[in-house]
Amino acid sequence: MDDQGCPRCKTTKYRNPSLKLLVNVCGHSLCETCVEALFVKGSGICPECGTALRKNNFRVQLFEDPFIEKEIEVRRKILKDYNKKEEDFKTLEEYNDYIEMIETLIFNIVNNIDVDETRQMIEQYKRENKDQINKGRNKKSKDEEYLECLIEQEKEESSLKRKFIVEEEQREKDSKKKHKEALLDELMFSDRSALDILNEHKTDIDKENELRVPVMATTKFSTGIKLMGKYLRHIRSASDEEKGGGFESKLACMRALLDAVNGLFYLPDQV
Amino acid sequence: MKLNIDGLLVYFPYDYIYPEQYMYMLELKKSLDAKGHCALEMPSGTGKTISLLSLIVAYMKANPLEVTKLIYCSRTVPELEKVVAELKNLMDYYEQQLGKGKPKILGLALSSRKNLCINPEVSQERDGKNVDALCHKLTASFVRTNHKRDATVPVCSFYESYDAHGKEMPLPEGVYGLDELQEYGRKKGFCPYFLARHAITHANIVVYSYYYLLDPKIAEVVSKELSKNAVVVFDEAHNIDNVCIESMSIKITRRTLDKCQQNIDGLSKQIQRLKDCDAERLKTEYQKLVQGLRDANIARETDVILANPVLPDDVLKEAVPGNIRTAEHFLGFMKRFLEYMKIRLRVQHVVSESPPSFLKDCYQKVCIERKPLRFCAERLNSMMRTLELVEIHDFSALSLLCHFATLVSTYAKGFVLIIEPFDDRTPTISNPILHFSCMDASIAIKPVFDRFQTVVITSGTLSPLEMYPRILDFRPVTMATFTMTLARTCICPMVVSKGNDQVAMTSKYETREDVAVIRNYGNLLVEFCSIVPDGIVCFFTSYIYMESTVAAWYEQGILDQVQKHKLLFIETQDAAETSLALLNYQKACENGRGAVLLSVARGKVSEGIDFDHHFGRAVIMFGIPYVYTQSKILKARLEYLRDQYQIRENDFLTFDAMRHAAQCVGRALRGKTDYGIMVFADKRFARADKRSKIPRWIQEYLKDGLCNLSVDEAVQVSKRFLRQMAQPFSREDQLGLSLLTVEQLDQEDTKKKLQSRMQYV
Repeated sequence: MDDQGCPRCKTTKYRNPSLKLLVNVCGHSLCETCVEALFVKGSGICPECGTALRKNNFRVQLFEDPFIEKEIEVRRKILKDYNKKEEDFKTLEEYNDYIEMIETLIFNIVNNIDVDETRQMIEQYKRENKDQINKGRNKKSKDEEYLECLIEQEKEESSLKRKFIVEEEQREKDSKKKHKEALLDELMFSDRSALDILNEHKTDIDKENELRVPVMATTKFSTGIKLMGKYLRHIRSASDEEKGGGFESKLACMRALLDAVNGLFYLPDQV
Repeated sequence: MKLNIDGLLVYFPYDYIYPEQYMYMLELKKSLDAKGHCALEMPSGTGKTISLLSLIVAYMKANPLEVTKLIYCSRTVPELEKVVAELKNLMDYYEQQLGKGKPKILGLALSSRKNLCINPEVSQERDGKNVDALCHKLTASFVRTNHKRDATVPVCSFYESYDAHGKEMPLPEGVYGLDELQEYGRKKGFCPYFLARHAITHANIVVYSYYYLLDPKIAEVVSKELSKNAVVVFDEAHNIDNVCIESMSIKITRRTLDKCQQNIDGLSKQIQRLKDCDAERLKTEYQKLVQGLRDANIARETDVILANPVLPDDVLKEAVPGNIRTAEHFLGFMKRFLEYMKIRLRVQHVVSESPPSFLKDCYQKVCIERKPLRFCAERLNSMMRTLELVEIHDFSALSLLCHFATLVSTYAKGFVLIIEPFDDRTPTISNPILHFSCMDASIAIKPVFDRFQTVVITSGTLSPLEMYPRILDFRPVTMATFTMTLARTCICPMVVSKGNDQVAMTSKYETREDVAVIRNYGNLLVEFCSIVPDGIVCFFTSYIYMESTVAAWYEQGILDQVQKHKLLFIETQDAAETSLALLNYQKACENGRGAVLLSVARGKVSEGIDFDHHFGRAVIMFGIPYVYTQSKILKARLEYLRDQYQIRENDFLTFDAMRHAAQCVGRALRGKTDYGIMVFADKRFARADKRSKIPRWIQEYLKDGLCNLSVDEAVQVSKRFLRQMAQPFSREDQLGLSLLTVEQLDQEDTKKKLQSRMQYV
């Protein structure tokens, strides 16, 4: 990283740690001072390639390789127009051909191969597919949605967890305090020997700790359906023989309800 | 002797059997019958290996359709050799008993090329990776095609002749260790490595390292075609969860990325060259990728060097995405990803992130979607093949990056990305590292549990047993722990909790720098040096703690006192230095001078080096070997364990510390004629939660009276113990108690007695 430097004044990051490299559309970098010096008027040409540039188009170079910076700039622009998603195609092959075509366009522009022709092609595509472009602009691909859903889930879980931990700590503190007080009280007023009381309390606490089984995380498979009385009205009540086998009318009701709604939760590509 | 184990005739190659071996076989048979998994703990030195082998071989003989194969996984090459030796012993016994009627069994060991290669040039190489690379250079399919065209291109004659004749000629039955394989290879002129790899598909018993099953990169290549009704044994499995996690985790440093940059530059030059001279080849590759024909069918066995990490099947069947189909596009793609990784590594503070948010950020910054990332490893593989690159070893950095890309986009859960700008110990030096860490040990081992009908997890120290099914996420049909039946009490565990001045001894963080504590630890060592004959092994909790303690001892003059009695050796982080120290330690013990070895729990010495008999008469554990709890990766894993498996942080930490402590002290006793003192020098060991996690065979002898000793008392107890142990001891003393004959085994009351030696969990 240290050998990164301004091609014009040859300052490097090593010599000037506060060096700030800027980059413009042509993909050549310049340091901040050079930009100030060269583009006093607000516009000028790139000292490397001679492209006409505007000063306010300069932005901080994010990547080490200015070439990548340029490529991503181009890519963003093109992807804005070529915004079809996998779902818009009938077959996977068509989609694959489509994204390969985009890739070729970007490659050509960035590497200065038939730039004019490519640009013309893009213009033509833009004209022909205006509606499609506008429609697809704000649409997210399935993949993105999936990721976002995951991130959302994560956030939710972590906030729940935090709450849970705080509660747990509080409860533990309270119970400790309670036990201590109870023990002191008993020691003060009881006639039994101190050792007995101590032992008894110890076993009490142990028992309580054992009883407190960690709460299992609720499964995501729960439908969340609450069995209300009105559902049960439509179900034949279980006969005595059936009840003997552990069967209840609630079970059948639940199963019917699940059958009715479980299709809603089916997302084929999230399996 | 011939045994009747629950109706199964088992040939056991020794005249006597330990009671616990008999019980072990009973339990093992139960789980084989149930076709389920099991976890069994039996002390080291009681003959686990032979019990396992003789029972499973007998079972295979009796039910040839139920169990067709035994896969025995162990950790190191010497351990593999030991297993093979036991197997030979068993087969000799079969031969002697049954003559021609002995079962036809092919058993073989498989190890890396480094241990098997017989090519005179390649086998000169010392480093395993270099051997692999050289082998690939001589045996890759394109090299061999070139050789057909142009005879000056060198190939490996052993592989050629194996390829020509070896495949039709199966290995004759018998037991082949690494040496036998090499010998056979030399005799026939075949390459032993590929011979063995081919033979494991039809061998009855395969002995190899954990990694051939657990590491998805290797397992894909080696263990793909093993049949379902096989029994898998993981021996010395107390660390198996860490092995699983390691095999799925990736570490990327700034240097890796720099190397990737070089790799990419190199590749683009290669592509340019190929375009100029032989553009046809790139086109064929492209066509293949377009059609979605996976390389699977054309991949020859020698080519699979960079196998992909576990991918769901549906992805593998799908075609490579269009935007990385051509070579230039793929390189551009990798460049972008590399630049993205570079900016990610440019951090000022620690970042911890989940794979989904990493992917999202990646899409926003460099427009890389999830799908092409998943195909990275496959795509690189195909490209390397097309370019006919011989020096694959040079491209390890790039393939690591591709593996990372594939893993991060495949697994949304169970992984975490942690980026640390500097090492915790050197906060001023910028040294960014990206850890892509697996937190769920069950991910790597799940395919194994799902695929094979019986998986046996066994070790000398598996306590607490109930933890393993939880962290590995499987349901065992039997879980049992066996204790050692001893004719005399030959272990003497004790918890020393205070010095003579009544200051508590503990390696607790707050008091570990305390002069009094360090002095007491020193006194303990000096006292033991003066009474214990031969070797003493001491374990510290970490290298740093050992260094500071030894420095303090030096100043206090304790080291001088120790050296009056014994020579002093220290384990260091350098492997070569340590093995030299170990060698001299053994020399000192051999010639009666006696020696002290200071080493570290979790270090090389604590795993896999035995201190039997006079090499270790006493083991002193200074403090509880907790893992470094401030590490971000550990914290993430603890959190994950709590959320997913309801395992509390403290439970896991204690479990982990105690299994390492048990592993350390267990080094001293490797057999029933052996004896040793085990000193737990920390007052916290006496607490119920720690004490209950010590293996049962040690816990049995750790009486209440031995749990809160001062140094003086400990010395008294040890003196008495050593005097007792110094009495002559012969096999006759053991007979009937800890060593049984067939007749004794058949008696009813022995069986009853045996039951008490075992405990289900």
